Amino acid sequence: MRAMDRGTLVSRLREVVGASHVLTRPEDLVVYEQDAFLVAQASPDLVVLPDTAEEVASAVTLARAAALPIVARGAGTGLNGGSIPVAGGLMLVLTRMNRILEISPRDRLAVIEPGVVNVDLTAAAAPHGLFYAPDPGSQGVSTIGGNVGNNAGGPHCLAYGVTGNHVLEMEVALSSGEIVTVGSRAVDAPGYDLAGLLVGSEGTLGIITRITVRLLRRAEAVRTLLAVFDTIDAASRTVSDLIAAGIVPTAMEMIDGTVIRAVEAAIHAGYPEDAGAVLLIEVEGYADVLPRIMTRVHKIAERHRPRQLRAAEHAHERELLWKGRKEGVGALGRLAPAYYLHDGVVPRTRLPEVMRAVAEIARAHDLVIGNLFHAGDGNLHPTILFDPRRPGMLERVVRAGEEILKACVAAGGSITGEHGVGIEKRDYMRWLFSDADLEAMQTVKAAFDPQGLLNPGKLLPGPAPEAVSDGAAAAFSVRPRPGVWS
Amino acid sequence: MERADLVAELRAIVGDAHVLVDDADVIVYEQDGSILQAMPEIVVLPADTAEVAAVVRAAARAGVPVVPRGSGTGLAGGAVPAGGGVVVSLTRLNHVLDVSYRDRTAELQPGVINLDVTKGVAKAGFFYAPDPSSQAACSIGGNLANNSGGPHTLAYGVTTNHALGVEVVRYDGSIQWLGGTVPDAPGYDLCGVFVGSEGTLGIVTRAVVRLMRARESVRTLLAVFDRMDDATQAVVDITAAGIVPAALEMMDRTTIEAVERGSAVGLPRDAEAVLLVEAEGVREHTERAVRMAQEACVRAGARQVRAARDEQERAALWKGRKGAFGALGTLAPNYYVMDGVVPRSRLPETMRAVAEIGARYGVRVANVFHAGDGNLHPNILFDIRIPGELERVIAAGAEILKACVAVGGSLTGEHGIGLEKREYMEWLFTAADLEAMARVRLAFDPRRMFNPGKVFPTPAACGETTRWAPAKVPEGLWV
Repeated sequence: MRAMDRGTLVSRLREVVGASHVLTRPEDLVVYEQDAFLVAQASPDLVVLPDTAEEVASAVTLARAAALPIVARGAGTGLNGGSIPVAGGLMLVLTRMNRILEISPRDRLAVIEPGVVNVDLTAAAAPHGLFYAPDPGSQGVSTIGGNVGNNAGGPHCLAYGVTGNHVLEMEVALSSGEIVTVGSRAVDAPGYDLAGLLVGSEGTLGIITRITVRLLRRAEAVRTLLAVFDTIDAASRTVSDLIAAGIVPTAMEMIDGTVIRAVEAAIHAGYPEDAGAVLLIEVEGYADVLPRIMTRVHKIAERHRPRQLRAAEHAHERELLWKGRKEGVGALGRLAPAYYLHDGVVPRTRLPEVMRAVAEIARAHDLVIGNLFHAGDGNLHPTILFDPRRPGMLERVVRAGEEILKACVAAGGSITGEHGVGIEKRDYMRWLFSDADLEAMQTVKAAFDPQGLLNPGKLLPGPAPEAVSDGAAAAFSVRPRPGVWS
Repeated sequence: MERADLVAELRAIVGDAHVLVDDADVIVYEQDGSILQAMPEIVVLPADTAEVAAVVRAAARAGVPVVPRGSGTGLAGGAVPAGGGVVVSLTRLNHVLDVSYRDRTAELQPGVINLDVTKGVAKAGFFYAPDPSSQAACSIGGNLANNSGGPHTLAYGVTTNHALGVEVVRYDGSIQWLGGTVPDAPGYDLCGVFVGSEGTLGIVTRAVVRLMRARESVRTLLAVFDRMDDATQAVVDITAAGIVPAALEMMDRTTIEAVERGSAVGLPRDAEAVLLVEAEGVREHTERAVRMAQEACVRAGARQVRAARDEQERAALWKGRKGAFGALGTLAPNYYVMDGVVPRSRLPETMRAVAEIGARYGVRVANVFHAGDGNLHPNILFDIRIPGELERVIAAGAEILKACVAVGGSLTGEHGIGLEKREYMEWLFTAADLEAMARVRLAFDPRRMFNPGKVFPTPAACGETTRWAPAKVPEGLWV
């Protein structure tokens, strides 16, 4: 059967979604050639902005008829290149599907479309005293569809878990063009856990068109403590001791000296500039109980000779402390024209040694690495600062990054905690998984997407997919672009 | 392959003593904790992963089904070999292979008894969270297959939340790890797909599970109600107040009567319902949570709320709850336990519906269940010897589950679908939804050799005769 030609495809797509929601001109497409993985780009052949699940399914069916790859995209804040159409093809941008369809305070759940921005859901739930727990750093911009695709986390995952723990049910357009429901509104649906399978599948198994998520009740009270240490080691040991004592803070974030100085220059969050590391420890619970729990947190932290322990006195102070953490990566722009943000995981108990290894790798490659991360769940974000204009620099940065992730895996950890694999880390999957493991994943992939059209070249290792022969697809490239760094 | 050849091959793999073929031996394996039966033709008890793999290869060559079985405590007929073939009993794979307190994980063989895990790590201050009522007998492999829950699921989640990785034997006898020791590993969550797959995708031969740190303090309340409606309202109110108890269990009047007849733990026999509320955590938190739960119960109309004064009293309350199913035997020769789920907020109306259905069918229903997560266990009491009784019980059960689904709930909270409820899957899922699952099944088990006829609705005929009545598997399956 001959594939549908481009002209027919475009006119059919226009019939489905309306002419203004099919983009084909290079100046329109260029917007979609990149995400927050700043070192690679590739242009789609055409972009479709559907409005309903039926439109998504029709677009998928048409793309299949034209034998075009299909790449879903949310807000484009992904850090692993997962939404870069490396083989060209049809991009489905889901930002128009941004309706909150239902908020049920009674059942503590919300039904939303994939293009809903993370923070908008929490805002809509707030009047009911509820919130949506996963809070990635990008939450002001990123979509929940993208969060689901990457199984996104955030600082408060320590207590509440990652996106997968909050998804109950999803409606999915399969590569066959069928629309199915996976999971159920009631927890732990019978049959195979296909909702769990779809979460974190990075757009390679289906296009998610509707999501039912849990909403949690806001805690009665929250206390935030800034603990200042002379060394990362002392801060790391405090983290281990708190967890060992059975205290589970809702967040436990570490910021090292390098990042502290950048943050203070940019934001003035109130971190002491000469500290080796600070910990942000947040505890939630009952108002009358929290002071007593905070006393215990103090006592444990004091064993590691903190230079200062300061509780936020009021909401404004708490917000400022968090602002430093949440905008920390951006603040690093003060120190270098570019950075490469990593995302490794280690067992919490191995934190001190892996942090020493990261420092050693930085020294060996003569690089500056800033660390700000989710210490409570051992999710590191070593951020390598560099100047891409210097010849040979990017290669060194990439090599150092690989060594860091290898050190995480060697310590019994993983290559990503919340940013996903995308194109960035697909080859590193072999460090974690045997050929047989990956083969099992490929078998499942084939069960959902026999033609391999859904987001090719992502997540699972393999040769780079061939660009579709349409001519409009730019070849995939990994190259720093002048301009994007400053 | 002739049946005799297969038996000889199996004997060569596991040793003569571990292949059972005589009726007197295999009859032990004809049933699980459900009311469904089918005589197995061959039962094999391998000793390790390699033997399991060799058994699967032999069965594959013979073209016969493989039905994995743990302790046989399952409540949905999942281990009943209705499609014939080889029952692989995993009870000899019962070793704890590794415990790491540092990483808070345990590596277990599937035949390890649930409670033995917690017993083994309790001294070091840890526990394994999923705690089905059958935990003194049921195996970890069976728990994984059914994604089992328990009273403390409310706070800690079901089995899948505690399984990090599984070693599985696949259809071709290959051995493979899915998942690992890292939570939220990248790639597809195949461990998550395996958990709850009821033995239809392969055989789990090893599992890495999370261990949790024992809580600093635990307090248990007993709240006594004169009206079921008040008790269910208390459940709604407790959670609405933002309390997440470690457990929130309900027993109704019929269950209380059975428990007191059975082991007399001191439950008030004239109450319509009792709630068992347990709070855990750091001491300060526990006290406050218990106080709030107490207030909520009183406001909802509890006639009495009392806290267990000591560990002994607490243990007695739990003994009553965990022994409740067994105690139902003091009221009737048989019971049929249902496992429906409803949104917590729909609990009061659903409990009224359950009572109404029981009355309409003229059957006695005892309720003992995980009220906190809306997971009902209506137990229909009956006498299987009375003609027509079983059919009536099954019809009443189906209607109860339909009522659960109608309010946005589900067919099973923790017992699985098995043979029992496969036809009901169509109430929850469309044909396309089920087709997507079937594709995953074929990706793992292209010959559908593992536990055929379970979980998914099948066209009538196959297994129909073995469905609700004891029956031998028809001859001729060997050809």
